[in-house]
Amino acid sequence: MTIPLAHYLIFSGILFSIGLAGVLIRKNILVVFMCLEMMLSAANISLVAFSRAQGTNGIPVYDAQVLSLFIVAIAAAEVSIGLALIVAMFRATRSVDSTSLNTLKD
Amino acid sequence: MFESAICQIIFYVFAVLAIACAVGVIAFRNPVASAMNMALCFGFTAAVLFGMGAQFMGIVQLIVYAGAILVLFLFVVMMLDVKEEERFCKLPLFIGLMVASVFAGMVVYVSINLPGVQDITCPFARLCDNIGALAVTDTPAATACVQAPSALGGYLPELNSTAANLAANPGMTPESAAAATGYPDVKLLGKTLFTQYNIAFVILSFALLAGTVGAVALARKIRKD
Repeated sequence: MTIPLAHYLIFSGILFSIGLAGVLIRKNILVVFMCLEMMLSAANISLVAFSRAQGTNGIPVYDAQVLSLFIVAIAAAEVSIGLALIVAMFRATRSVDSTSLNTLKD
Repeated sequence: MFESAICQIIFYVFAVLAIACAVGVIAFRNPVASAMNMALCFGFTAAVLFGMGAQFMGIVQLIVYAGAILVLFLFVVMMLDVKEEERFCKLPLFIGLMVASVFAGMVVYVSINLPGVQDITCPFARLCDNIGALAVTDTPAATACVQAPSALGGYLPELNSTAANLAANPGMTPESAAAATGYPDVKLLGKTLFTQYNIAFVILSFALLAGTVGAVALARKIRKD
């Protein structure tokens, strides 16, 4: 037999949680951003798994795959903006440390 | 039987490898090592997508994530010449890991308890095993069969290339659909994308254009004069 849907969902959930842990504990803002990308791709896996599970007659529901295609495209746009912001931040503070952005604090 | 056992083993192998590489992303202090681990993680994720029969999404995952996004990351890491971190964590490590673990446990709990997931003899799974043969011999019966209520979950159905070929090419007879090999994944996805979601697709291209212009506007050097 093939693999149950639950295993795909657990895989995607674990990948998402690892990304969440990275966003919470890492200080380097580049790695935080990489972990955000990982969370997006984990969401993609569960969307594609749902599209396979809900299909009729063995044909997947392609609406879910179109949605995950949109997520990929938005992720690409988001990465270009975010990395430009990181470069601008590095120019301003000479650091990519997320704890160095404390001008408003002190 | 043998083939599906191989498929199963391949899924678990790639899933474990992807999770290991994801742990590598947050465990390495050097950002270049993190980026390389992320490339591997995306590659293994693409392999899992291929195994699910979503070939186009797997290719997109490889081209966009492992190709474009990763190269952008490596470019910025090399350009900024990032040093290894002295102090690793912004939160205490314990709190961050605890929050993430609680979240993971919640997701696993919900996934296991979805209705129908525990039910091995889910009607959905058994329907799709014989539906290919039925679609050739008796199309109305096959159509009636698949309109039975399907529970969410259970085993993922086998890909039915006969029925998919019939859906993609309305003029095709069931016999020629059965004779045609291959699964028209890209064709069906494109059909959905360019008919039902055409306006969203055009709006998305504007979002990408805005992203490009915004990146250039943000990253350029501002002259003082």
